[in-house]
Amino acid sequence: MNPIISMNFIDYLILAAYLVITLVVGYALKKYMKTSEDFFLSGRSLPSWITSLAFLSANLGALEVIGMVANSAKYGILTVHFYWIGAIPAMIFLGLFMMPFYYNTKVRSVPEYLKLRYNEATRGVNAFSFAIMTLLMSGISMYAMALIFRMMLGWSLTSSILLSALVVLIYVFFGGLSSSIYNEVIQFFLIWLGLLPAVYVGLKAVGGFSGLAARLPETFLHAWKNMGSAAANPMGVDWMGVVLGLGFVLSFGYWTTDFLVVQRTLASENISAARRTPIMAAFPKMLVPLIVVVPGLLAVAILPEYSLALQGSATPDYNSALILLLAHYLPSGVLGLAITGLLASFMSGMAGNVTAFNTVWTYDIYGTYIKKNMPDKHYLMMGKLATIFGVLFSIGTAYIVQSFPNLMDYMQLIFSFFNAPLFATFLLGMFWKKATPWGGFFGLLSGILMAAGHYLLYKLNVIHYSSEMAANFFQAWWAWLTDFGVTILVSLFTKKKSESELRGLVYSLTPRTRGSEMFWRRPEIWGSIALIVMVILNIIFW
Amino acid sequence: MEKKGSESMTEKKSGSHFFDLKIPLGLLLSFYGLILLLYGLFGPDRIYEKSLGLNVNSIWGAVMLIIGALFLGFAHYSRKNSR
Repeated sequence: MNPIISMNFIDYLILAAYLVITLVVGYALKKYMKTSEDFFLSGRSLPSWITSLAFLSANLGALEVIGMVANSAKYGILTVHFYWIGAIPAMIFLGLFMMPFYYNTKVRSVPEYLKLRYNEATRGVNAFSFAIMTLLMSGISMYAMALIFRMMLGWSLTSSILLSALVVLIYVFFGGLSSSIYNEVIQFFLIWLGLLPAVYVGLKAVGGFSGLAARLPETFLHAWKNMGSAAANPMGVDWMGVVLGLGFVLSFGYWTTDFLVVQRTLASENISAARRTPIMAAFPKMLVPLIVVVPGLLAVAILPEYSLALQGSATPDYNSALILLLAHYLPSGVLGLAITGLLASFMSGMAGNVTAFNTVWTYDIYGTYIKKNMPDKHYLMMGKLATIFGVLFSIGTAYIVQSFPNLMDYMQLIFSFFNAPLFATFLLGMFWKKATPWGGFFGLLSGILMAAGHYLLYKLNVIHYSSEMAANFFQAWWAWLTDFGVTILVSLFTKKKSESELRGLVYSLTPRTRGSEMFWRRPEIWGSIALIVMVILNIIFW
Repeated sequence: MEKKGSESMTEKKSGSHFFDLKIPLGLLLSFYGLILLLYGLFGPDRIYEKSLGLNVNSIWGAVMLIIGALFLGFAHYSRKNSR
């Protein structure tokens, strides 16, 4: 197979400049890493514009970008649900209501909060599952990246994997979370600057947004109008599935409890910056469809293989939609920039996983179960070691996935087992003081089992849905509901924690502090504005 | 605030302030802007058939140069202010 794109010296120069600057930034951060908090939490000293962009970028990895362009080519504007209702309310909820508990209790990880609020066992379930899953995910994204670079440029799988692993290893080893965050911010600009030229030229070619709309089927153009029943829209999901499954459980589960994203807020310089982090990130988040959904629509409008798929006469590879579009419109120069943006987002996705892993490993597993009460230097060293074996383990995963490509889907699925119910455990933990330690533990466990059981029943054809996505959304909902119900039930019969132990951990036992900052810095104001903008966008694209 | 999360590991504030990210970011973007602009102005013309005759490299190079310069400007300004 011939590569789709051939790069010339200018493209390589752009790519090389990016690699150089990331290594320099990582190495320059080395001298600031004096304590374990510097390494794992950036010394809680970053301003909110940096943490916001990193918070957003952690979820704008190349896997998401390519996958969402593919979704848009398949489902049209419906894909915006992943960016609006499927993200914004959860991000605002995290900033307004949950952040005070994460930040003010000085916990250093999500599992550590579970330990304080519930017990060691609940933390254990979350810490182990999270640590293993992040490494698997980082291996998966490395493999996905290698596949795309082979298709795009003809690079061998091994050289892509080793190149990205080496660069990520070096910069995370020296700069820890700060390196990771700084790179995510650089990546944020590169992916936008890299993709916008293709969007612009593409729109110009079809005659603007109205010209684009004229070339697409009606179902591709509305976000809600065809959501009345699952059969009426290409995604095969009704509005209930979108609201409960995606908008509520999956989105809140991911944005408010996944340590990969929460870690970025913990790096903020103070509580107010921490609360602003996810809220300010909501604004660029709402604009992401411009570089993700529009290219997907353009691919359908312009590239014959995707337009033919509309009549059902072809089954194209949707994952190459973005690459083909870039190759179609971009000359050398801006093309190199777009490819660098993709490479950057692959690497920062991997680095994000590795930094979240080394933190949970060091604080919640090593520091809890293996060697307690060691001097801080010891844990700093362990974090650096964890970075090395984390990267090596990811490389291993990348090669395992290579021989079993279906593993990729399974792992993402297993990940959802752990993520979806967790939000119920947090919701009850933070807002219901009567939730007991064992209530939390058994709730979480049964939520995970429910997700696994539901998946089995679906695969064995006992339960039916009109699409995989609908099955996924409803699975999240049932897992959440099970966790919620079991936690309450078990809490009624087991021993509560005393109120003094829960001070600062539960909403009703935490004194509320009125922010003294100017009104234009208050998270409440910005959160409300973001919600209003989201509603308006949904109405415009109804 | 009581220090709840630190039973087992010491937690000291080193008060670290990292170097300003705006500097490497500004440098990288201005560098990109500059080479895209130069390549657009002096490089081959026929590659722009792809982009409907639009010299995207020059245009985008100029845009990136401005964004990069803005970051460097802000970095300079905030450094002066913090002194």
